[in-house]
Amino acid sequence: MPKEYLGEFEELVLTMVGILGEDAYGNAIVSEIKDRVGREVNLSAVHITLYRLEDKGLVKSHMGGATKLRGGRRKRIFTITNAGLAMLRVMKDARVDLWKLIPQLKIVGI
Amino acid sequence: MKKSTILRFLEWFCPPELYEGIEGDLLEEFERDHSRLGLKKANRRLAWQVLKFFRPEIILRNRFTIQLINTIMIGNYFKVAARNIQKRKLYSFINAFGLSIGICFCMLIFLFIQDERSFDSFHVNKQDIYRIEEKSFDTWEHDSSDPYRKSAWIQTALQPALKEELAEVLYATRYNSDHTGIFRYEDKVFTEKITYVDPDFFRMFSFPLTGVNPERVFQNITEIILTPAIARKYFGDEDPIGKTLRVDNEGEKSFTVAGIIEPAPANSSLHFETLIPQENRPGYERNLKQWGNFNTPTFVQLAPNTNRATFKTNLDTLLDKYMGDRLERWRKEAVVPIPADVKMLEYEFTGLPEWHLKKEIGWEKVSDPQYSLILGGIAALILLIACINYISLSLTTSASRRTEVGIRKVVGAQRNQLVYQFGLESLILAFISMVIGMGLMVLFLPAFNEFTGKGIQLTMMSMLQVTGASVMVTLLVGFLAGSYPSLFLSKFKPALVLKGGFTSKLQAGFTKPLVVLQFALSAFLIISSVIMYKQMRFVTTKDLGYSKDQILVIPTQTGWNEEADKTVARFRTRLQQEPTVVSIGGTTSSFAQGYSRYGYKIKGEQKSAYVYGVDPEYLPTLGVQFVSGRNFDATIASDSSAVIVNEALVADMKWTDPLNEYLNYQEDTVGLGAKVIGVVKDYHFLSLEQNIEPMMLSMNKNDVGYLTTMLVKIKPGDIPATVEKLQIAWKDIAPDRPFDYTFLDQNVAKQYESYQRWMSIMGLSTGFAIIISCLGLFGLAGINAINRTKEIGIRKVMGAELQNIFVLLNKQYVYLALIAFVLAAPASWYIMNKWLDDFKFKISMSWELFAISMLVGLFIALITVSYHAIKAALINPAETLKYE
Repeated sequence: MPKEYLGEFEELVLTMVGILGEDAYGNAIVSEIKDRVGREVNLSAVHITLYRLEDKGLVKSHMGGATKLRGGRRKRIFTITNAGLAMLRVMKDARVDLWKLIPQLKIVGI
Repeated sequence: MKKSTILRFLEWFCPPELYEGIEGDLLEEFERDHSRLGLKKANRRLAWQVLKFFRPEIILRNRFTIQLINTIMIGNYFKVAARNIQKRKLYSFINAFGLSIGICFCMLIFLFIQDERSFDSFHVNKQDIYRIEEKSFDTWEHDSSDPYRKSAWIQTALQPALKEELAEVLYATRYNSDHTGIFRYEDKVFTEKITYVDPDFFRMFSFPLTGVNPERVFQNITEIILTPAIARKYFGDEDPIGKTLRVDNEGEKSFTVAGIIEPAPANSSLHFETLIPQENRPGYERNLKQWGNFNTPTFVQLAPNTNRATFKTNLDTLLDKYMGDRLERWRKEAVVPIPADVKMLEYEFTGLPEWHLKKEIGWEKVSDPQYSLILGGIAALILLIACINYISLSLTTSASRRTEVGIRKVVGAQRNQLVYQFGLESLILAFISMVIGMGLMVLFLPAFNEFTGKGIQLTMMSMLQVTGASVMVTLLVGFLAGSYPSLFLSKFKPALVLKGGFTSKLQAGFTKPLVVLQFALSAFLIISSVIMYKQMRFVTTKDLGYSKDQILVIPTQTGWNEEADKTVARFRTRLQQEPTVVSIGGTTSSFAQGYSRYGYKIKGEQKSAYVYGVDPEYLPTLGVQFVSGRNFDATIASDSSAVIVNEALVADMKWTDPLNEYLNYQEDTVGLGAKVIGVVKDYHFLSLEQNIEPMMLSMNKNDVGYLTTMLVKIKPGDIPATVEKLQIAWKDIAPDRPFDYTFLDQNVAKQYESYQRWMSIMGLSTGFAIIISCLGLFGLAGINAINRTKEIGIRKVMGAELQNIFVLLNKQYVYLALIAFVLAAPASWYIMNKWLDDFKFKISMSWELFAISMLVGLFIALITVSYHAIKAALINPAETLKYE
């Protein structure tokens, strides 16, 4: 288990960055979270989380090309690093391990 | 596209490297909102989104990278600071000592000022309570620079008139606290202070009252209210309510204890022990009809939000109604011409919170706001001297930190990091001093209370305030003392420092003016306290023209009647055989216990004289000398209408042959007046703040009154035993009256109590200032000597004697001290001149005083620096030079 610990929201954002690949920037992540998880999240919260993940070395960023949309502003594109992927994997494995330990996992009463 | 305000705001707070990405995301959302929800809503959402970005994670991102490193280094700074403090124990002690004394002083002064400002603030109705004051044109002692006399004493009849005729006056009370009476309960007989008030007193002021409803108190004029201490004195543990006390103040009356009132706290302008309705005040009925007599302070409580201007107008109208004719008459009769536009008399009023610091109106405990200023100034001086110690010591010891600075810079420290580091060091020292200072404050507080005559107590609340204030002072000191050294120390160039080419000589450039300043401040304090001390010695040892030693002052406790005279006579007879009693004189009032003064017109000229009623034994008891004439003689009947005058009166009347003159002080239109039978040498019956004014002595009971005070001259030796004998004799002749006594010399000394107090404060702070600056000087001299060790070694090898080296090392300090004295002398001359102006009899500020102060200061400084000079001069040069 790595020393760093990821919060639930951090993990969610990191996963989205992984999913979106070359298209991961602030707004895209917000709408992706809404589409897939059905959760309304705040743009500023996403930004701050991304910067924090960058500080931890789990994502890296570069400026994308300019488009006509967005008033000609470039996008800051985030991509997941190897460390980020390893982190996600470790967390998933740990969760699966724990999941297996829950006894009699049946849905009763149907 | 034009940039909206909200985006400019984003640009302002957002770190530039993030800005484009964030703005783009926001604009994208905005465009989507625009097409879906319309411009207005989209704009609003944009603004809201931007505001959400206004948070520390964004604003501070990457802005405090240095801060980040600093927090890493802070542990190291603490460690280095602690090591430095340990390594240089002497300098750390000097700095911490000075700073903690300075901070302690500051805190005490803070408490003092707080207490001054908190006066009377505990009354719930303080905003609506006013004291009525009279302002009248002074025709008696006319002084064109200040032609008005102001006083809080007004007519007895004003209070009922105010309550009846002015709608805005909710409550009003008169307040006479200058009375005493003899209290009797069973076998207990004591003299107590009486305060006469009206029932409204209890409704206006917030002194807790128990045993009685404040609305119903004093419905009966034979009620009395006591403080718990007095109640315990007479009734012990019994319930005092309903008990009967006999009270004698010019006639004995019975009073029923109606309630118990809490005593006033130390920061109250009103003080009382027993409260009795005004109607019982001696002469009350007579004064009620007299609009020309001013004999009671009066307080009113106005309805909330009363317009003060209207109240003033109403007061004017009221005054005109009752006194208009009389004032016109006074104006015509006045000796001094009174300008037509000047009012003879008018009322003014002062709000309760301002009573304490309104010094132009005499009141018990009134205080001069200047005191706070002076004390604050002294505290600031001491703190400044301590700060200078810190600065000059850090500068001169900077040589040893040079290598450290060099290494730190080479490793990558930025200059501002070093500034932080040294600043932090001074702050650490300042905070250590603060903790010591707080301890000292708690230790010194009782003594400080005694010096200033205050009753300050530390409560949780005041402790919190003091802590807050001292943290402020400490930060200020840390900043003040630390700023220059840290800027100076962080300036070193690593290449130069580490190469080793730097000499380790004293960097005295900036420290010299600092030392001069420090010296000058101390010199100022030295000169001032020497002058104050001289003046106080002059005052206490000056020949007053009478002998004040071994004289007891005993009141006859009879009131203003013939019984007083009889008591004196009986006491004298009873003690005739007593060898330890020299003589007993009777008088209307002793010194420093009030006086009476007569004003009269002679040949159209306004004159006045102080008057003492005496008996034939009075002058011999005091040992007063005659210039001419004789003392009163009880066997000569005509002496009862004769007078003895002093030289000042003779001079005032311009008499050449006083023994053939008559003093017509009764303004007798038929007779010549009182015959002058003797002239005494001027003696100081008033305090030395005043000149010796014209005075006369008389035995005329009708004019000057009865002998209410006895002066008992006793032989030196076992004074307590003699007092015991006097007490026994007193119990014989007046078993129902208490035996109170004071010593005349103590009463006289009490007049100068406040000066004495200020002298002690000055002396104490001078002492501390000298200690602190000497410690600083000691440190400086030490560094200087060490820096010149090699030079001294070489000089010794070349044949220099001990005294040459001594002079070499100390010469500069003598120069510095001289410069400092030249600076300090005029300042202290100016200030002390003002102080001495309070006295009519004073020392002259001769150059000798300054010379003495200077020599004392120089001597102390030389002793301080000599230790190091001698030590350095005595080292064997082989020791210091063997490494060369």
